[in-house]
Amino acid sequence: MTSSSSPSRKALSKIACNRLQKELAEWQMSPPSGFKYRVSDNLQRWVIEVTGAAGTLYAGETYQLQVDFPEHYPMEAPQVIFLNPAPMHPHIYSNGHICLDILYDSWSPAMTVSSVCISILSMLSSSPAKQRPQDNDRYVRNCRNGRSPKETRWWFHDDKV
Amino acid sequence: MAAEAEAEEEVRQEVEAAVSVYGDDCRVMCGFPPHIVVHVRPRTADDSSQQFVELFLGIKTSSQYPKEPPHVYAVESKGLDENRQVYLISSIQNKAKELSCYPMLVILCEEAVEILSNMNHPAGDCPLCLYPLVQEDKDGSALPFMKLMSCYHCFHSDCIMRWWKWLQNDDTDLKKSSAAVTTEDLSSSAKNHSVSQHKGLCPVCRKVFDEKDIEHVRDLLGANTSQLASLTIDLDKDEKELLHSESEKSRREKFASLFNLQQERNGLIEPKKDLSIQPGMYIPRPPSAPTAAEGDTIDDSCEDTTTSTSGTDPHETNSTATTKPNSNSGNRRRHRPHASRRQPHGQPVRQQWQRKGGDTSQQ
Repeated sequence: MTSSSSPSRKALSKIACNRLQKELAEWQMSPPSGFKYRVSDNLQRWVIEVTGAAGTLYAGETYQLQVDFPEHYPMEAPQVIFLNPAPMHPHIYSNGHICLDILYDSWSPAMTVSSVCISILSMLSSSPAKQRPQDNDRYVRNCRNGRSPKETRWWFHDDKV
Repeated sequence: MAAEAEAEEEVRQEVEAAVSVYGDDCRVMCGFPPHIVVHVRPRTADDSSQQFVELFLGIKTSSQYPKEPPHVYAVESKGLDENRQVYLISSIQNKAKELSCYPMLVILCEEAVEILSNMNHPAGDCPLCLYPLVQEDKDGSALPFMKLMSCYHCFHSDCIMRWWKWLQNDDTDLKKSSAAVTTEDLSSSAKNHSVSQHKGLCPVCRKVFDEKDIEHVRDLLGANTSQLASLTIDLDKDEKELLHSESEKSRREKFASLFNLQQERNGLIEPKKDLSIQPGMYIPRPPSAPTAAEGDTIDDSCEDTTTSTSGTDPHETNSTATTKPNSNSGNRRRHRPHASRRQPHGQPVRQQWQRKGGDTSQQ
């Protein structure tokens, strides 16, 4: 699905590179718990393994998050999606797109990969049921051809989950 | 009975003393047993530009006070990370234990002032680039940084300006962009709404800040010519392309024509030709001559400098345009030396922009 197609994008700016190297160093010093990232030579795309927290619906399950950094990171939010198979969650579409405001409208350059990961894990942990969003089929149909979730105009349904 | 009443009277007097020492900074939540909240600031001789931390210190006593030390806590703080705040509160708590049986309200507040004064420096990394805020280079120079007055969060001046300009550009891009996939039909209005809210929110805590904070940094950076030069060099190829792109050109032309129109209608107050330069003054770029071929090349390079650093603010662009139609190479020659000498004069501005909004007499 969308996971394999990468948006055509420019190389990281010098500022983005510096910032990401710093984030990488800090991640290696103290990775957020529940996450594993094996360093690759591609600074612009991180594939991170998430393990569901104990005592939640996703306990022990592992999923893969793909984080793509735009040229002007951190001014611009990274694109974060789950690789196939995406966890069943009321805010996660079957194509891996995540409906989470901080990834789009509420992104702030003071956030980091690490803080985004923690938000996503907490979103998983507070899920009441393993189910897809109500408009999953319609949305996924509209997203064919590997459209980035960042092109979506998100409507954030609720803040309970 | 009489002894008890006397003790109570003593404690009440102590509260009165605290109020007279701290004035409006001391709020009495309860007269007896005393519970006060004091706004504690580091000693900076009332220069708020030098203030990077502050604390609302709560002191709550029991009826056994002063035999029993009061409970000390932080109501609210600015510029203090968790570690520093924990250290501060536990130090005051220890002091309270040492002083038990003695009147200590004012002494505890003074202890807080003392510790805050020692802590009065911005700590940690710039939240935008993640590199230390204050990092002395080998030659002793450091990157300039600024703080938002509303929350005391500090950023490298360059970093916050880059973010601010990004926001301004982002806004215009979004307005232009056509409809995309929506998850719900009503969403477009919600989107625009949230974008406008984006303006003037601290990237760290999302507290609303005064745009003046940013303007001051812009002025400060704008007054520093060497900074401009180094920024231009840092531009990578794409950014240069952007500056020479069609949309950028048409935008400049639009403002140039607007300017001409205004000039024809005598709608402009033009800078005096025999301008004398005062310390800290903001000076528009000197007029330049696009007539001579040699002048053109010089023009291009300074055009880049101005545009790349002054953002897309229409007001700023206007000042760029100001210089165009008035081509007068003699004028330029006369003004240019001043421009390079501007740098040292820029310094005093620094003191001004960090003043608290209250005293407008500073502006």
